[in-house]
Amino acid sequence: MTHAVKFHPGLMLLEQYVEGSLSADVALAVSAHIDLCPHCQQQSRDITNDQAAVLTEQQLSKRDTEQEWQQMLNFITSQPALTPDADVRTASSAQAASVTVNGKTFEIPRALARLAQKQNKWLHLGGIATAKLPTADKQHVSLLYIDKGTEVPNHTHLGLEMTLVLAGKIVDENGEYGVGDLLINSPDDTHTPRTLADEDCLCLSVLSAPLKFNKGLTRLLNPLQQFFY
Amino acid sequence: MLETTALTGHHDGLSKQKRISQRMTINTDNELRTGQWEDALTLVALHQDKAAYAELFSYFAPRLRAFGIKMFGNEQQAMEMVQDAMLNVWRKARLFDASRGCASTWIFTIARNVRFDMLRKKQSRKDDISADDLWFDGDYPEQESNSSDSWDTMLMSEKLAPHFDALPPAQRMVMQKVYLEEKSHQEVSDELAIPLGTVKSRIRLALDRLREALDDTRS
Repeated sequence: MTHAVKFHPGLMLLEQYVEGSLSADVALAVSAHIDLCPHCQQQSRDITNDQAAVLTEQQLSKRDTEQEWQQMLNFITSQPALTPDADVRTASSAQAASVTVNGKTFEIPRALARLAQKQNKWLHLGGIATAKLPTADKQHVSLLYIDKGTEVPNHTHLGLEMTLVLAGKIVDENGEYGVGDLLINSPDDTHTPRTLADEDCLCLSVLSAPLKFNKGLTRLLNPLQQFFY
Repeated sequence: MLETTALTGHHDGLSKQKRISQRMTINTDNELRTGQWEDALTLVALHQDKAAYAELFSYFAPRLRAFGIKMFGNEQQAMEMVQDAMLNVWRKARLFDASRGCASTWIFTIARNVRFDMLRKKQSRKDDISADDLWFDGDYPEQESNSSDSWDTMLMSEKLAPHFDALPPAQRMVMQKVYLEEKSHQEVSDELAIPLGTVKSRIRLALDRLREALDDTRS
C-alpha cells in the first residue's frame, strides 16, 4: 500500500468503535479503514489497552453474590475446552478477499471479506455501479464502483454519508482521496465527487439516509436515489 | 547545589512512601503481581487448571458485571454477558498469546464482542455484521514506530495547559507522572498497577488527543 492515508476517523469515533458502541454499519466502515491504515491500527490497539485497564481499575461495590458466582464458576469449568480445529476457522476468516466489477478484480479489506461473499448483484447506471451488502441496520452499506472519468451528480446528504476508498482515487471540491481515506459527510455538506480521467475507483459507502440531488436535470435523478441508497 | 540534591533525595523518600501506601489502598482485596493473569491463563490453557481459572474468575467476573451494567443498563443482560465472556475465557484460553498483549485486554475484547453480538442477536440473522467482522483477532504487520519525542517540548507550552486538564483522568495521571514527575514508564506501571504496555498506550493516546486539540484551535 503505497498511498499514505490522509483522512482518518477522529479519536472519539475510534473510542466508540473499540468500546463497541457505534452502530454496526458505521463500525464496519471504521473497521475496514483500520485494515488499510497502520496509524489507526496503532491507535485502536492503544485505546483497547486503555479501556481494558479502565475495566480492571473499577471500584467494586461489595455485594453478596457469592453463591451466584460459585454456580456460574462450576457451570463454566464443567464445559469442555475448545477443540484445536476451531483455530482454523479464525485463521481462515483473516484471509483477504476480492470483488469483481466492470471486468476488473479488486482486493477488499478483511472486515468486508465475509459480507462481500453475500453481496447483492451489481446495478449499473452510466459509469457507476453499486452492490448492497446484507446488514440489518437502517443505514445502508454498499460497494460503489465509479468508472474512470465519471462524475457523481452534485448531491446533499439527508443523513450521514461515509465513503471509504478501497481502490483507485476519487476527487471532490475538498480534495483528493486515495486508498484507505475515509470521507465523512454530514447533512450540511454538498459535494460532487468524480474520478480522474485515467483511474477508476472502488469505495465502501455507508448511508444513513437517501441522497438528494441538487442541480437541474439531475434532480430528475431523485426518484432514482434508491439506486444509490 | 548540595541543598538541592538533599531536597530531591528527601522528595524521593517521600514519594516512595506515598507510592507504597497508594499501592496498598488500590489493591486491598488482591495482592496483584505483574504477569499473574497471564500465568493463570497459561495454566488454564495447558491443564484446564480449575484453581487458576477460579482466581481469574473471582477477579474479572465482578468487574465484567460492573462493566456490563454500565453498558446494558440492567443486571440480567450484564450477567448473561459475564457468563458468555468468562465461558469463552475458559474454552479459548489456548488462543491467548501473551506476546500480543496482556490478559485484561484479551478478556475485555472478548466481553466487548459478546456484548456486541448479544445486541445484534446474531443467532437470528446469519448475514448480519458480527463482532468477528468488526474486530480483527490477529496481528497487523508491524509498522515503524512514529516517535512522539518531538512532542515533548510542545508539552511545556502554555497553550497546551487547558487541553492537558481536559484529558481523561487515567491518561492525565500517566502524563503527569511521566512528564512532570519525570518517572520512568516502568515506575508508573508499578505505581498504578497497570501493565507497561498500557502506560505506553495512554501516553500515545494523550499525545494524539493534545495534537487533535491543537489542530482544532488552529483551524
